[in-house]
This record gives sequence, C-alpha cells and structure tokens, in this order.
Amino acid sequence: MLGLSLLAGCASAPRLASPEAMGIPPRVQLEGIPFHAQRDYQCGPASLAMLLNADGVEATVDELIPQVFLPHREGSVQPEMLATLRRHGRVPFVLEGRFEALLEELAAGHPVLVMQNLSLPAWPLWHYAVAIGYDLDAEAMIVHSGTQAARREDFRRFDATWARSERWAVVALPPGELPASLGVEPALQAIADFEQARGTLAALPAWEAVTRRWPQHAMGWFALGNARHGGGDPNGAAEAFRRATEADPSLAVAWLNLGLTLVALEAPAQARDALERASALPGPWQVHAEDALERL
Amino acid sequence: MMKTISRVLSPLLIACLVLGSLPVAAAPAPASGLISTQEALAQDRVSADRERIQEVLSRQDVQDQLVAQGVDPAEVEARVAALSDAEVRQMADQLEQLPAGASVVGVLFAVFVILLVTDILGLTNAFPFTR
Repeated sequence: MLGLSLLAGCASAPRLASPEAMGIPPRVQLEGIPFHAQRDYQCGPASLAMLLNADGVEATVDELIPQVFLPHREGSVQPEMLATLRRHGRVPFVLEGRFEALLEELAAGHPVLVMQNLSLPAWPLWHYAVAIGYDLDAEAMIVHSGTQAARREDFRRFDATWARSERWAVVALPPGELPASLGVEPALQAIADFEQARGTLAALPAWEAVTRRWPQHAMGWFALGNARHGGGDPNGAAEAFRRATEADPSLAVAWLNLGLTLVALEAPAQARDALERASALPGPWQVHAEDALERL
Repeated sequence: MMKTISRVLSPLLIACLVLGSLPVAAAPAPASGLISTQEALAQDRVSADRERIQEVLSRQDVQDQLVAQGVDPAEVEARVAALSDAEVRQMADQLEQLPAGASVVGVLFAVFVILLVTDILGLTNAFPFTR
C-alpha cells in the first residue's frame, strides 16, 4: 500500500501557465477529424488514418495496415509511423515533449498523434491515439482513442500515460505548413528527412515556409537554394544561397554552393568570389572549394 | 541464412554506393556537385561518408528484419525507403526494444489487480471500464 501511495505521489496534473500567458483559448475541440475505431491491435494504422483523413488525404485503415503494422510484434513502431506519414505526402514533425506544446498545436488547429503506455513500465501497454482538443477548466484532454471517439481523459491520467513514452507527439502537415510550437533546428531536420524520402520538388514549399518564418536562419535559405536548384531554377537557387551567406557569412557550405551554382550560370568572376570565401573558411567544405577554384 | 546473404550483399552494396547509383540510400544530391541539405546538416564530411555506407547496409538489414517480422516482402522496400537515416539506424539497432503501439491486455491476474488499482488511482488507463 505504501508503494502504491508513493506511486500516486509521483503523478500530479501538469502545472500549466494561464491560457493568457500561453496565448491559447481555454477550450478547443477540432472539428472534422474522422474517427476510426481500432480493430485488434491496430491503433497505429487507425490513428494514421484519422490524421491523414483530417487533412484530406484519402487513406483507409486497410490500406495503411500493410504499410505500418508489424504482424509478429502485433503493433507498429514509432519510426514507421513517421515514415508512413511521409509516404502519404505529409511532413511528420515530432514535437518537444512538453504539455504546453501539445496544447499550442491543438490551438493552432493541428490534431496530434500521441503515444501512451496505458499500463505500468513493467507491463507496458503501448497505444497510439489522436488528441483533438482540450478543456483547461475541466483539465481534460479530448482524444480519439481505441474504440472511443472524442474520449475525455483528465490531464493527470493523460499525462501519466503519455509521460511513459517520453511524451512522444507528432503533427503531420502538408509541405508549406509549420508546427506552431517547434523550433527551427528540429523543423529543418524533419523537412530534410521528408525531402530525402519524397524528393526535392515535394519539399520545396516547406523550405519556402521555413525562410518566411525564420528569415534570419541561414540553413533555411541554404536548403531552399538546393531545392530550387533541384527544381531547375539555378537563378532562384543562387539568390537563396546568397541570402544564406548574408544571414551567416561563416556558413562555408552556402558560399560553396553559391559558387558552384554561379559557375554553371557562367558568372565566373562572382563564382570565384564566392568560392574564395568558402575556401577561406576552415572546415569540411574547404577542399571542395579549392577543387572548384582549380577547375575555374 | 541472413548472415550469408549480407556477406554476399555487403560488397555489392558498397560497390553500388561508390558508383552513387543506389536510389534508396542516395540523399537527393543536386546535380553539378552541390552539397545537399542532408549532407550539410550531417556536417562532418568524413563521418558522413562512413555513415552512408553503414546506412545502405542498415537499410538492407531493416528490410530483412521486417520480413522476419511477417511484413509482406513486396512492401518492405517502400517502407524502408520512407525512413530517415536516423530512423533506419534506430530500427537496425533496436527494433526488438522499440515500443510497438498495440494496446491489448494479456497479463497475469496479480498484474491485473495492480493495474486495476493504478487505473482507479488515475496512473494508468489499462481498463476502460474503470471510468
């Protein structure tokens, strides 16, 4: 009994700032998130179908099962949940594991895929669900979960079960939309991973969105330059690489790609300028810049 | 069996990689020798090369593991292709340990009682009938 009361002492409702301080409404319930009841062990495919359908992607649970379910594990693992979202043209962003981040995304209109351990760590009962809203006054999360649509789970119980997955939470957005709560570095990585799976053209709108949201961040411009280049727009690429070097003159790789693009655009004088800047910066790209200068 | 396959495949895969012709592992490398965003984010050039070789081997390894987990062989290539490099490494190294969301209760009676109590305390959510 002592053990149990100690356990109980560990779990308390998450302490949150006031809605005004967080800049979110006190109550949110997203409309138009279809519910798919899970069959057998298939909360993974069912949750993915809800996320995708909510965003207008036609994908049925039956279609998703062979894409994400592991028959012998009788479940679905997190990396493959993300991969499946990419296959359906959505960029999966893993959120920071903070309760506030979850609320901010819901307030921004994004349903959130969460992983919970409904049981105790010793006998895990891993489960995927889709958070579709919250009620700060009632301290309740609203989740499409298992066989129940719009189930209300009190914050304390939700957070206790969610914390056991290290608060794993994902929003899936079309390229060009960005999560409300995520910082620039993890957003860049998420889009780069999407680009690797789906190609440059598919990722182009996402990079454009990054440079609009974080115009001071050099890597965003650099990535946009590569995507434009891959899309057959070398002039646009050179412009983006130039913006990257303005945002961070010590970003050697941006000078390098700017130089290489200008070489192809037959602007040798400007190309030499850029490549010399790249070769003057110590680091892994120096050799590439020196090679390119020799070829000029 | 798997070991033999990978012993035969590994040199082949490395050869493919050197030729730069393996679509699964190739980061979307822009033409004319530009450095890709993925490479730049990975930063350290030397280790990035080493990781790419490891990457190809891991992707093959993950495909084998998925087949062993009962996934339709016709599906595995597309499934693995959609994973990021970091996710491939995670799957290759620790697929067995990764939590698989499934949600089904198959526990002993003693555990059942404990979970019943923790459910009522609001620490777990194993049995929907407790609310």
